[in-house]
Amino acid sequence: MIRLAGVTKAFRDGDRPVPVLRGIDLEVRPGELVAIVGPSGSGKSTLLYVAGALDRDFAGEVEVAGTRLAGLSPRARAELRNRAVGFVFQSFNLLAGMSALENVMLPGMLRRDGAEGTAAVRARAAEALAAVGLADKARATPAHLSGGERQRVAIARALLARPQVLLADEPTGNLDAVSGEGIIQLFQRMAAGGMTVLVVTHEERVSEAASRVLHLEEGRLR
Amino acid sequence: MSARGVFWIARANLRADRKGALLNATAACVGAAALVFILALGMGVSQAARRMFPADARLVEVIPAGVALGGVLGGGRLDDAAVARLGRLPGVEQAWPRLSLRVPVAASRPPTGLDYNWPPGMTLQIPVVGVAPGLVQADVRAGRAFADPGPGGGPIPVLLSRRLLEVYDKTIAPAWNVRRLPPGLSIVGLQLPVRVGFSIVPQKTEDRVYEARLELAGLSDRVPLYMLAMPLDTVRRLHREYGKPDAGYTQVTLLARRPDDVPAIMAAVRRMGFSVDEGERSAAERVGTVVAVTTGALALLAGVMCALAALAIAQSLSASVRGRTREIAVLEAVGAAPADVRAVVLAEAALVGLVGGAVGTALAVVAARIADAAAARALPDFPFRPDTFFALPPWLVVLGVAVPAAAAVLGALAPAAFAARIDPARTLS
Repeated sequence: MIRLAGVTKAFRDGDRPVPVLRGIDLEVRPGELVAIVGPSGSGKSTLLYVAGALDRDFAGEVEVAGTRLAGLSPRARAELRNRAVGFVFQSFNLLAGMSALENVMLPGMLRRDGAEGTAAVRARAAEALAAVGLADKARATPAHLSGGERQRVAIARALLARPQVLLADEPTGNLDAVSGEGIIQLFQRMAAGGMTVLVVTHEERVSEAASRVLHLEEGRLR
Repeated sequence: MSARGVFWIARANLRADRKGALLNATAACVGAAALVFILALGMGVSQAARRMFPADARLVEVIPAGVALGGVLGGGRLDDAAVARLGRLPGVEQAWPRLSLRVPVAASRPPTGLDYNWPPGMTLQIPVVGVAPGLVQADVRAGRAFADPGPGGGPIPVLLSRRLLEVYDKTIAPAWNVRRLPPGLSIVGLQLPVRVGFSIVPQKTEDRVYEARLELAGLSDRVPLYMLAMPLDTVRRLHREYGKPDAGYTQVTLLARRPDDVPAIMAAVRRMGFSVDEGERSAAERVGTVVAVTTGALALLAGVMCALAALAIAQSLSASVRGRTREIAVLEAVGAAPADVRAVVLAEAALVGLVGGAVGTALAVVAARIADAAAARALPDFPFRPDTFFALPPWLVVLGVAVPAAAAVLGALAPAAFAARIDPARTLS
C-alpha cells in the first residue's frame, strides 16, 4: 500500500522556490498496477522517490507498506527501502563492477540483521535471476548484457527482498518493443500476485497495461 | 548493514577498481615495509649494542676523587664508613665495595679438563678485583658458592665477564691461534691453575709464590671486561698474607631503587667529595642515543611515508567516490543508510591498508633475512656480532599491518563523509 496525502515539494532556483509537487493525494492498493504519466519535468520521478522513502525533503503525509515516513531516521528509512520497497530505473542502475548475480544479491547483503548468510543470499539471488529468465547470465557483468537483460537483472534485484511495493521509473524507456513487452508482463504478474506496483512512464504501452492511469501535470495529479 | 555486508560490498568495489586498489595497496605496502624494516633494524642494533655495553641503568660506580678535598667534605677514602654513608643516600638500595687485588696472579697452564692448545711458554697475568658477593650473587651458578675458601682451602671461586668470552673467541683466540672456549655457561666449573704472587713484570714478583686454583663460578656483566672477580674477603686475606694494608676500597657500586633516582644519587655522591665513573655508562648512553636518534629519524621518515600513503589513498578514494556517486545512490536506494555508505568507503580503505600493510610487513621480514644473510657473508666475525641485526617481535608485525590500515582509514574519513552526504534522490533523478 502507498498513500500520499497533501504532498508538496519544491526545488530552489537560487532564492526562488520552484514547486514540483502541489498537494498530491494518491493511494495505490496491493494488487494494483498504477501508471503515472505526464510530460518530462512534470515531477513523475520526484513523486516516485518521495513514495519510495528516498527523498525526505517534502511536506505532507506519506505512508508506505504500513509505515508513516514522517519522523523516520535515515537508518529507518533505509531499512524500509531495503525490506519493503523495490526500485526499477530507466537506466537500470546496475553496479558495473559486479556480476548480475552480485547485483541481485545487494539488497540481501545490506540487511541489517545479517541473519541470512552469504550463501543463502546467493541462492535466493540465483532463484530471482532464474525467475526473470537469466539463470545463465549470473556471472556476466552489466557490460555483457543487453538492455532488456539488464532491466530484468534490475527487476530481480528489486524483488530479492520480496517487497510489498515496487516503484518503477520509466522501466521500458531504454528497451526495444519485445523487451519492453516482457517487462510489462512481468509487472502485471507481480501486481496480480498482490504487490503494489507504481510505474511512472510516458509510454502508452505501459499505461495501457496498468489497472489505473493518473496524469501528473504542473505538480498536480488528474 | 552488518559488517559482513559492509566488507562484501567493499571487496566488490575494490575488485571493480583493481588498478586503483592496487596503487593504493602499493602505497600502503611501501609505508609498512619501510616502517617495519627500520624499526626492526633499530631495535636489532640496539639489542646488539646492549650486549656490547650491558650498562645497568640502576648502577652508579663511585670512585675516590682525583683531587681529594673529601677529608673536609666527608669524602676522600672509600672506607667502610664511606660505604655505609653512601648506602644511606636517598634512593640507594645497596652499596657494594670493590677492591683491586694488588698481589699478582699469573697462569702458565690451561684450565684442567679442557682440551686446549695453550701456547708453550706463555704466562698470562690475571688482573683481579674483589667484589662483595651481593653484587654478583644473581650470576653465581646455582649450587656454587662465592665465598673465600680460606688459606689452604679449596679453589678460589671467580667470576668472568660474559663479554670477555665474546672478545676472546672473536679476537684473542684467532690472533693467538688457540682454540675457542666452549659456549657460555658450559665452562662454569673449570679450574685454572695459577701462581699467586708471581708477576711477568720484572721486580714485581712477591717473595712468596704458591700454587692455587681458580674455579669459575659463573659469568657476570657486573665484572669489569678484562678482570676476574673473586670474593672481597679473599682479596683482603691475600693483602693481609702479603703485607699490603688496605687504604680504602677501589670502587663502590651503588644500586639505585629506580633508574630515575640515578641523577640525584650521582649529584649527592659528588657533593660527598667522591667521583662517579661514567665510562661504561656514558659509552652505553652514547651508543644508545645514537641508535635511538638514528632509528627515531628513520622511523619518522617511515611515518611520513605512511602519511603520504594515507594522503595518496585519500586522494584516490576521493576521486573514486566522486566517480561513483550514482552507484552510491543506487546502494542507498536498495537499502543502505548514509552510515552504511560511510562504512563501506572506510572498509575499502581498511582492506587496502591491511593488504598493503601485510604484504609490506612480509617484504620487510624477507628483506631483513636477506640483509642478515648478506651481512653474514660480507662482515668479519667481530666480537658481539649479532646473529641478526633485526628484532621482529610479534607486536612489530601487528604494528606493520595496523599502522597502514589506520593511516588508510584516516585518509578515507573525508571521502567517506562526502559519500555519506550524497543525496540519492537528486543523484538518481
